[in-house]
Amino acid sequence: MQLATDHARALLAAEDVRKVYRTGEIEVEALVDLNLTVQAGEMVAVMGPSGSGKTTLLNCLSGLDDIDGGRVLVEGKDLFAMSDAARTTHRARAMGFVFQSFNLIPVFTAAENVELPLLLGGTPAGQARKRAMEMLDRVGLGHRTRHRPNELSGGEQQRVTIARALASRPAIVWADEPTGNLDSQMAEQIVDLLHELNRADGQTIVLVTHDADIGAAAQRLISMRDGRLVSDERRVVAAGVGDGREDGSGPRRGA
Amino acid sequence: MYPERTPALVTLLVVCAAAAAYIAVRRPFLRRLALRQVARRRGEAMLVIGGSVLGTAIIIGSLVVGDTLNFSVRQGAYTNLGPIDEIVTSATIAQGDEAAARLRELRGDPQVDGVLTVRAAEAAAVTGADASRRAEPRISVYEGDLVAAGEFGGSADGGSGLGGPTPVRGEAVVNADLADTMGVGPGDALTLYLYGKPTPFRVARVVPTRGVAGVSTGPVSRNAFLAPGTLVEAARAARSTVEPRTVTFVSNVGGVEDGDAASDAVEGKIRAALGPLTGQGTSVEKAKQALLDAAKAAGDGLGSFFLFIGSFSIIAGVLLLVNIFVMLAEERKSELGMLRAIGMKRSRLVRSFVIEGTVYALVASLVGILVGIGVGRAVVVVAAQIFNSFSAEEGGLTLAFNVTPVSIVNGFALGFLIAFLTVALTSLRISRVNIISAIRDLPTGGVHRTRRRWVIASTVLAALTAAAAVPAIADSQGLGTYLYPALTVVLLCPLLVRLAPKRWVYTAAAAAVLGWGLVANTVRPKVLENGSTVTFVVLGIMLTFSAVFLVSQNQDVLTRPFRRFMLRPTPGGLASRLAIAYPVARKFRTGAILIMYSLVVFTLVLITVLGSLVNATVDNEVANASGGFAVRADFNPANPIPDPARTLTSGRFSGAITDAVPLLVAPGKISNVGRLSRPTDTVVIGADPAIAETGLYPLTKRLDGLGDDRATWRAVMTDRRYVIIDQFLGSTGGGPPTMTFTPGQTLTLTDPATGRAEQKTIAGILKSGNGFYGVGGTSFVSPTILSASAATAQFGGQAKLASALVKTAAGVSDDTVAADLQGQFLPQSLVATRVRQAVEKGFGASRGFFQLMQGFLALGLLVGIAGLGVVMVRAVRERRRTIGVLRALGFPASTVQRAFLTESSFVASEGIVLGAALSVLTSYLLFENDPSFAGTGIGFPIPWLSIAILIAAATVASLLATFWPAHQAARIRPAVALRIAD
Repeated sequence: MQLATDHARALLAAEDVRKVYRTGEIEVEALVDLNLTVQAGEMVAVMGPSGSGKTTLLNCLSGLDDIDGGRVLVEGKDLFAMSDAARTTHRARAMGFVFQSFNLIPVFTAAENVELPLLLGGTPAGQARKRAMEMLDRVGLGHRTRHRPNELSGGEQQRVTIARALASRPAIVWADEPTGNLDSQMAEQIVDLLHELNRADGQTIVLVTHDADIGAAAQRLISMRDGRLVSDERRVVAAGVGDGREDGSGPRRGA
Repeated sequence: MYPERTPALVTLLVVCAAAAAYIAVRRPFLRRLALRQVARRRGEAMLVIGGSVLGTAIIIGSLVVGDTLNFSVRQGAYTNLGPIDEIVTSATIAQGDEAAARLRELRGDPQVDGVLTVRAAEAAAVTGADASRRAEPRISVYEGDLVAAGEFGGSADGGSGLGGPTPVRGEAVVNADLADTMGVGPGDALTLYLYGKPTPFRVARVVPTRGVAGVSTGPVSRNAFLAPGTLVEAARAARSTVEPRTVTFVSNVGGVEDGDAASDAVEGKIRAALGPLTGQGTSVEKAKQALLDAAKAAGDGLGSFFLFIGSFSIIAGVLLLVNIFVMLAEERKSELGMLRAIGMKRSRLVRSFVIEGTVYALVASLVGILVGIGVGRAVVVVAAQIFNSFSAEEGGLTLAFNVTPVSIVNGFALGFLIAFLTVALTSLRISRVNIISAIRDLPTGGVHRTRRRWVIASTVLAALTAAAAVPAIADSQGLGTYLYPALTVVLLCPLLVRLAPKRWVYTAAAAAVLGWGLVANTVRPKVLENGSTVTFVVLGIMLTFSAVFLVSQNQDVLTRPFRRFMLRPTPGGLASRLAIAYPVARKFRTGAILIMYSLVVFTLVLITVLGSLVNATVDNEVANASGGFAVRADFNPANPIPDPARTLTSGRFSGAITDAVPLLVAPGKISNVGRLSRPTDTVVIGADPAIAETGLYPLTKRLDGLGDDRATWRAVMTDRRYVIIDQFLGSTGGGPPTMTFTPGQTLTLTDPATGRAEQKTIAGILKSGNGFYGVGGTSFVSPTILSASAATAQFGGQAKLASALVKTAAGVSDDTVAADLQGQFLPQSLVATRVRQAVEKGFGASRGFFQLMQGFLALGLLVGIAGLGVVMVRAVRERRRTIGVLRALGFPASTVQRAFLTESSFVASEGIVLGAALSVLTSYLLFENDPSFAGTGIGFPIPWLSIAILIAAATVASLLATFWPAHQAARIRPAVALRIAD
C-alpha cells in the first residue's frame, strides 16, 4: 500500500522492470525485477561495479531503450505504453540528458546546442535563443555562446551539455558518468554545478557514476550489482531538497 | 586505339605495380595490414572499387567507340578495294594505254601480285517502265577483262568479287549494290546512259560487292562491268570531250590490310615505271593506305572526342575516390593513431595504403574493362542509328562493333594509373594524423600554417606562371590564357593568407579565377579559336572548381535567406537546420561532392544548350550553306549539262530557276598550312564569277583589306592567288573543328594527277561548307573554292564541269525543282541536292549525337549520385552517436530521416544549380562572343524545359540514392547509438 502511494506521488516509478540482452543463444539479465521510485527534487546517485546494470537502468528508465518486463511511470505516465513517437515527444518535454562524452552536435554552436530541445518542444526561436543564453550564463559560459564544441574545453563542453539538459526545464535530468572524461578539477566543478542546480532549482537529477565522492555527496545513493538494487541510502542534506522554485522558472515537479 | 601510347602506359603500369609489389614483398607486416584491411572491410573495399570502376569504364568505352569507327571504315578496304592497294588513273585513252603498258613491268615484282587495267566512266541507269520504272542517276561503269579481274590479287576470285566470263556486247555484269538499287537480276533488261545515250543491256550475272566488283574511289559503289570497248565506242559516238578514264589497279603481296605495308615502296616503283606520265595527268593513289589512314583518323577522332566528353566524368570519379578514401581513413583514425603511437613511420603508413590502393586499382580496372565494353557497346548501338540515317553518298556508314586488345590494354593501364595515383596522393594526406587526437577520436582542430619554404616556393612559382601568362594572353593562346592566370592566383594564396584573413583570400582568389574563366573570351575574343579540347576541359574545371570554392567559403552567407525557415520550431525547421549545418561545416567533403555534381551538370547543360542553339540556327545554317542557292545539281562530267547557266534557266525551267552558277570540280590535296601534318584531300571547286553576284555564301573570317563578304568573293573570282576554304578542313571525327585557319595564311594546293602545286592565300573561310560537300558526286571531303579560271589553269582537264548551283524563283518549291531536274537530266546523271533538306538531316544527326553525349555524360552523374550516396552512408555511421543524442533529446525518427534527406537534397541541389547556372552563363558568353552569331538575329536560346527535366531527374536520383541511408539513420536506437555500456 505504501509502495502504491509512493508510486502515485513519485516523479518516476519503476515496477518490476526487467531487461534482457540476447547475443545468439546467450541471454544476460541486465535488470532483474527492479523497483525504484524517485521523488521530485531528489538527486540520486547510482553506483556499482562495471556490468552491474547502471547505464542499462538509466537507458530503460529514460525510455531510451526498450524493457522486457514491468513498467516505468514518469509523471504518472507509462513510458512503454506509449508509441515510440509519443515516448520521444515525452522525452523532449520531460527529460534532459548529460553524457560522459558530452555528445554535443559538432556543427552547432554552444547556443544552438542548448536551444535544440526547446525548439523540439515548439518554443519560438527568439524565446529559445533567450533561454539558451540564460542557461549558458547560468553555467558560466555566457561568453562562449558562439563557439562550436571543438573550440571549447572538455569542462566547458560538459557545461554546455548541462545547460542543454536543463534548458527545457525537464522534470528529470539523467546524467551518465558526467565527469568520466574530465580531470579532477573540472569534475569537481561539474559536480558542484549539478548540486547547485539541484539545491537552487530543485532539479531532479539521476546520475550514474563510478566516483565514490560524487556518490557520497548525493542525497540518495543507490547501489547495484548484477542488475539488482542492493542498497538505497537516503541522507538528509542541509538545504535545497524540495526547495525548488514555484514561480515556474525552476524544473517541473511532476504530476 | 592509340597503339603508340601503349608502351608508355604499360611501362608506367608495370612500374607502379612493381613498386607496390616490392613494398609488399619487402614488408610483410605492411602487406598483411593492407590485405587484411581489404578483407576486413569488404563493404568499404567495394565502395572504393565501385568508385574506380567507372573511370576505367568511361575510358574503355571511349576507346571502344574509336575502335568501332576505325573497324567500320576499314571494312571499306574489303568491300571497295579488296586486293587493290594502288590505283593509277589516266584521263585520256592514249595516256592510259601507255601507262598500262609501262605498268606491265611490275608483274614480275616480288612486292606486287597483280596488275589489272580497266576503263571507267559514270552513267545513269534505268530499268522498267511507267510505274515499275526505276532510275539511278549515278553509277560507275567499267570495261575490262573480267577473267583477269577474277584472278587479280593472287588467287581465283581472291577477294576481287568478279569471277566468270567477261560479258559480251549488250551484256552487263552488275554488283549486288546496283542490282538491289535497280531491282534487277540475271536476264533482266537494264538501260545505261553512256555519254548521254541510252544503251540497252541484259544483266549477265550479279556479283557480290567486294574487291574490284565493289571498287569505289568515291562514295558510291554501284558498279556495272561491260564488254571491252563499250565505253570507248560510246564516248567516240557521243563525241565527248571527256574520254573514259583508264584505271590500273595494283595489288601488293599480302592480304587485304597487310598489303598496305609495301604501299610506299610500290608507289615508288609505279612512279618510276610511269616516268613522265605522272606529270602529264596520270595520277597515282595509294588507295588502301589512304582508306586505312582515314579509318584510323576517324576512329581516333571520335574516340578522343568521347574521351574528352568523358574526362569530366573521369575527374568526378577521381574526386569520388578521394572522398571515399579520406572517409575510409577517418573511420580508421584511431587505428592509424595507434600504429603511429607504437612507432610506425608515416612513410610506412603511406606504403601500407599504397599496397591496399593497388589491390583496389587492379580489381577496379579489371571490372572496368567489362563495364567499359558494355558502355562502348551501348554508345555504338545509338551511334549506329544515327549513321544509318545517312546514305553512303551523304557520308553514312554501317557501324560494326569492334574491340581491339590495344584499347583494352590502354584503358586498363590508364584506369589503373588514375586510381593508383589518386590513392597514393590521397594516402599522403591522410597519413598526416595527429596521434593523440586520432587515438582519442578528437577533432583535429587548429589551423595548419603553411611552412615558410612552401610559401616561398609557391610565390616563386606564381611569379613564373604570371610571366608565362603575359605572352599567352597577348597571343590569345587558349590553354595558357586560361591556365596561367588561374595558377598564378592559386599559387599566391599561401602568401596572401599570411597577410589577410584566410576566408577573404580564398573568396577573392576563387572569385578572380571564376571571373577570369568567364570573361577571358570577351577580353581575348580569339582565345577559343584553336579548338583544343584540352582548353575546354581546363576551362570547365576552372569554372566549376572556383565556383564551388567560392560557394564553400561563403555557405553561411548563401544560406542566410533560409535562416527564418530553419529557425522555425517545427520538425521541418529543425531537420533543415541540421541538414544545412553539416554540409556547411564539412567543407572538404561537401566541396568534393559539389564539384562532382557541378562538373557533370555543367557539361550536361552545356551540351543541352548547344543542342538547343543548333536547333535555333537551322534557318541561319540553311542560309549559310546555300548562299541563296536552294538546290545543287551534280551531273556526270563525262556528259555534262551544256552551258548550265543558260540551260537550267531557260525552257521548262525559265520561271522556276532564276540563276544557275556552273562549278568545275577536281580532286586536290592541301598541305603546308596550320597543323596539317600531311597532304589532306580536298575537293577543288572552280566557281563561275556569277557566284559572287547572284548569291552570297557568308564568310566567318575574311582577309583584311579585301572588304566585306561579297568583295572577298569577287577578289577570289578575279585573283587566282586566293581561295576560300571550309573551317572543317583537315578535321576528322565529330565535334568542333580540330584546326584553326586564318585568312592570310598560305597553303599549297596540288593536283594529284599532275603533281602541279600552287601556293594560295586564304581569302576567307566559309561559315558553312555544307552546301559543297559531295559536290559533283565526289567523296565527302572539305571544299576549297577558287575561280573557274584559276581551277582550269592549275588542274587543266581534271577540273571538270560537274555541278551547278541553282537559285529558285520566289515561291517555287525546291523539292519540285529538284525532282524536275533529276527527271529531266537523267542522261546526264543529274542528282539534285536540296540544301535545306541536307542541313536539316545533318542537324537531326547532330541532335542525335548531342543526346548520345548526354547519355555518355549521365555516367558521370551516376558517379556524383554514387558519391552522395556513399557520403550519406558514411555520415550515418559517423553520426550514430549524434543521432542517438538527438533521439534522446526528443528528435522523432521521422525528423532524423528528414534531416538526412534534406541534407542530401541540399548538397545535390546546390551542385546541380551551380553547374547549371555556370553552364548557362558560360554558353551565353560563348554565344555573345561568337562572331558567327553577330547580326543573325538569333537570340540566345535557353532550353528551360530540358534543363528543368535534367535538374529534376538528377535531384530525384540523388534523393533515391540517399533514401536508404536516411532510413537507416532513422532506425538507429538511441541507447545503442550512444553506446553507453556498463
